[in-house]
Parts: sequence; C-alpha cells; structure tokens
Amino acid sequence: MNASFFWRRALRRKSVWFSLVVMLCLGLVAVLAPWLAPHDPYRWSLEGGQSNLPPAWVDNPYKPGVAEFPLGTDAYGRDVLSRLIYGTRTAYFLALTAVPLAALIGTLLGLVAGYAGGRVDAGITLLSDIVQSLPGIMFAVIIILIFRSYLEPTWLNGLITLAVGFAAVSWVSLARMVRVSTLTLKAQLFVEAAIALGASRWEVLTRHLLPNVLHLILVWIINQVPAVILLEAILGYIGVGVTGAVDGGEFTVVSWGGMFYAGRSAMSRNPLMLIIPSLCILLMSVSFILLANYLNESTRKEIDFAG
Amino acid sequence: MIRFLARRVSRMVAILLGVALISFLLMHAIPGTPWNNFAGTPRVLANTATDPLMLRELNRRFGLDLPLWRQFTRYVFGDIGEDGRFFCGVICGNLGPSIQQHGRMVEDILFEPPRGGSLWESRFGYSIRLVLLGAVIAVGLGVPLGIVSAARPKSKTSRAISVALAALISIPNFVLGLLAIILLASWLRITQVLPDWDTPGDWIVPAVVLAVMPMASLARVTQVSFMNILGEDYVRAARAKGLTQRRVMLVHVARNALVPIITYLGPALIEMFAGLFVVESLYAFPGVGREYWQSVLKLDYPVILGITLIYAMGMLLINMLGEGICAALDPRLRVIQHPGAP
Repeated sequence: MNASFFWRRALRRKSVWFSLVVMLCLGLVAVLAPWLAPHDPYRWSLEGGQSNLPPAWVDNPYKPGVAEFPLGTDAYGRDVLSRLIYGTRTAYFLALTAVPLAALIGTLLGLVAGYAGGRVDAGITLLSDIVQSLPGIMFAVIIILIFRSYLEPTWLNGLITLAVGFAAVSWVSLARMVRVSTLTLKAQLFVEAAIALGASRWEVLTRHLLPNVLHLILVWIINQVPAVILLEAILGYIGVGVTGAVDGGEFTVVSWGGMFYAGRSAMSRNPLMLIIPSLCILLMSVSFILLANYLNESTRKEIDFAG
Repeated sequence: MIRFLARRVSRMVAILLGVALISFLLMHAIPGTPWNNFAGTPRVLANTATDPLMLRELNRRFGLDLPLWRQFTRYVFGDIGEDGRFFCGVICGNLGPSIQQHGRMVEDILFEPPRGGSLWESRFGYSIRLVLLGAVIAVGLGVPLGIVSAARPKSKTSRAISVALAALISIPNFVLGLLAIILLASWLRITQVLPDWDTPGDWIVPAVVLAVMPMASLARVTQVSFMNILGEDYVRAARAKGLTQRRVMLVHVARNALVPIITYLGPALIEMFAGLFVVESLYAFPGVGREYWQSVLKLDYPVILGITLIYAMGMLLINMLGEGICAALDPRLRVIQHPGAP
C-alpha cells in the first residue's frame, strides 16, 4: 500500500481528521509557547494578592478572577495558562524521546531474539517475562528515583530520567510483537534468498527484516504516546515526576503532571486547577488514541487481506 | 504431562528469581539508606543526627552490613540468624521483618487483619476485594455494552457507545478518580472525601474508577469478536432458518464469540492490579498498593521485595489460568509437543 493511497483513505475518516488537527494545534502551541504565553511561567508574583487566583470568569466576592490571568494563578502566583502552554512542550518532548527510546530497545531485542533464536531468544524472552511481571508504574518510579539523584535537577535532566524510566518498563510489548513477526518473516523465501546471495546477518536484519516490521513499530509508538503522558501526570501528581519536589525541582520544570502536584493542595478551594490540566491530557490522549485505533484497524485489515 | 508441568514450574521459579534479583538490585541502587532516605521530603530534614553506634546495630540487625550478594541469598534462601540457628528465606514463605514498621513481619503487614477477623480484612484482602468488585463492574457493564453495539453496528446507540468508549479508554484512571472526588465529594457531597471502608457504599467509587479502563477495553473486544462472528456463514444460515435475533445472538454467536472475551479477562485483571497503586493512593485505601508506594518512599526493602514478588506471582498465575481456560474452551489452542521445538 503506497503512502498517498493510505493518506487518501485515512483522511476520509472524521476521527483521523480530528486527531491530526488536534496534534497539529498542540504542536504549534508547543513550538510557539514563548509567543503565546501571556506571562513567564516561572515568575512568582506573591505581592498584591496575586497568588491562588481563580480563573477570570469566577465571580468570587473575596477573590475575583482577573482578566490578566485568564485561568488564574497557583500558590506562588504563577500564571496557570502560561504553565499549561509550556507544559505542552514537555508533553511533546516526552512523546518524541521516551516513546522512540522504548521502541528502539524493543525493536532491537525483538529482532535479535526472533532472528538469532536458541539461547539468545530464550534469554531475551525470559527477561521480557521478568519485566512484564514487575509492577510497571512502581518499577518506573524506582528507576526514576535512582537516576534523578545522579543528575542535576533541571528541565532536561528530569525529562531524560522520565524517558529512561518509561522506556525501561514499556519495551516489552513491542519486543514480543517484533519477535513473533520476525519469526514468521525469517522462514519466508526472500530472507532465504538474501542469505543465499551472501547477505550478512546485519544486512538481513536491517534491509530485509526491519522494513517489514516497521509498520508495527510506528503503530506501537502512536499507541504508547498517551501512556507516557499519563505516566508523567501520575508521577507528577504523586510528586516524583519531572517536577520532583526534592531539591526545589518543582520550580525549574513546567509540566502538566507538575500542575497536578501544585493543584493537589488547592483541590477543595479551586478544583479547576486539577480539571484544566486533566482536560489537556484528555485532549492529547484522545487524539493519539483515535489515530492509533484507525491504524490498528487498517493494519488488521491488511493482515486479513494477506492471509 | 508431568514433563510439561515441570517445565512450567521451573520457568515460573526462574522468572520469580529474576524478578527478585532485578528489584533487589534496583531498590538498593536508590540512594540513601532506610534510616536516611526521604524521597518525598526535602533533603535538609534527612540529615537528622543518628548515633553511629545505633546505626551500626540497626544495620547489623537487618543484615544491611553484609555485602549485597550475601543480603540477596539471605533474603531468598535464608541464613544463620543471631541465635546461631538457620532461618529459611523467601523459598519457605518467610518474607522477613519490615525495617520501618518495627517488630512486624512483612507477611503480617500484608496478610494479617488489623482487628482480628478474616483474611479479607487484611491489606491483601482489601485489595483483592476492590479488584474483584472492579472486575464484576467491568464484566457486567463491558460485555453487554459490546454486545449491544455489535448487534446493530450502524445505529445511533452503537455510535454513541463507540465514542464513549474511546473517551473512556483515554481518561487516565487517576484523573477520573480526581474528577470523581471533586464532583461527588466536594460539589455534590454524595460521597465522603475520605471514605469509611466499613460501609459498602463507599467502595463503589474507587471500584468504578479502577474498572473503567478494563471495562472499555472489554467492551471493544466483545464488540470486535461479535462482529467477526456475525459475518460468518452459519450465522446467516441461522437467520435464514427464521430464528429470532435473540436466539441467533445468544445461541449461535455468543458461544463462539466468548473465547476472545475470556482470553481478555486475564489482561484486564492485570490492568486492574496495576491500577491499584494509583487508585489506592488517591483514596487512601488501606490496601497493598498504598503500602507499596509508602515502602518505596521509606526504602523499606523487605516490604518492597515482598509485594513485588507477590504481585509477580499473581501475574504468572493469572496468565497460566488464562492459558488453561483457553485451552479448555478451544481445542485448537492446546499445546502440541513438537519433538524438536525449543
């Protein structure tokens, strides 16, 4: 199936349109964050009662919302809207680093296990069974706790830690998928022909096997993007996310998970501080899940046609 | 058969050993010691002065002064105790003493009910009850929803169900939990912010929050599985015979569509067990997940290891049960012994 045909068929779906438009908009927001954000997301403004402001439309007699801060401010007087906009960057950064990192590990191990077979295969399968039996979130937390202590608490380092934690846990499902399809591919004639023509192992792996599992990997990546954003949010809420409460890290990173952490203490007073970032997460994951659903469907059809 | 079982069991043991080893190494790699680690609080507070002699005594008592490999074998296989007698490790079911909760064994923390009573009253029992309640909700709602939307795929109800399911799958369960707290407890005041776990009504909200994601995936699996079967020739034949829609659905379709649904119950259960860690912390639920989270923050090594091992064992059991049930339902899936297969 060639690319243009694929796109033409995909764009007939409303759900694909929706998810692409949302992704593009959020991507633009992430890129243009410095120009879109009305305030500096890091700047504190404690004087003049500018902290803990409700959103502008709330008509609270004691503390009315101000038009200057459309979505209100948090406990340190930082603008929620600006933090939300900068948080989009964190989310996209994670989607673009953590998920491909996991995909890289999964693909490598899966390909090697499927192609080499024997002891190597048994070892990698055992390893993936072990990792799958570990409780995922807690395992990620432990890895993040380990890595975080060796790195300076900066935005980049926090994100790298989170990416590593996510990748260490979630490569398993991809490795299994890639292994199984490598096993079936390996038995096919074109691989045999390549070997007969004198292709090296590396060439067989990269030229003949990898292109044939590439669509699996792409679909898997899109499927996993919501998972990493969710992980960031959960860890942020608990307080070990990119915005670790330790060492003042909370003040160097802006992320949706960190907003949960900040909003947790204001839950009874101003629940919107929790609802607003959750809506953003919802929007982003819905868009990725709709696209992933479509891709799942179409690859399943393709397999049906082939079989 | 015996050889098959033996291979299965030895594989399980290997996986559990690997789980123990990996989590042991990782948790010791977390900087700090149980006496001096405050992952949740600023470091400044962490350096409360402790008497070095006292520290040495504490370390000796919990075996923390031994080299790592000795600590591992001590935990797994056992060691010579202080009284000069051998004590058995995890392989005998001895999960060791908790470091932070003084004088309690890990198995007491997990399995012993606080006020007497049955196993259901323990932390483990609380978690199991919550998961079971969630499973009932997930199956009870998910399967009928899937059947309804598969029966008339073009209708408005079916469309609405599909959209709702896509939305539900993408809501992270802790966001849902938060929204439930805000909406039901803060605004509508139907439930308590801090529920009382002795009244059964308070269990519903956390169970629903836990069940939503598996419910949505179950509904999707049901829908897809029913749709696939509905296109088969024998279903058309049954319709052509003049059978009612109801009879066709229940007798001809449901029986064959059931296998994928039951297969999916295992992963759904696993998803719920993984969700426990979040939901329990959210609702201050006195279960295993919250205990685990706290023990990670306090670096209570034996508790971390114990819960990880029990979790891994549960996962393996669920997977094995799932395979067994599938093989019983569908003879094609039974294991065939290839002479040369690895």
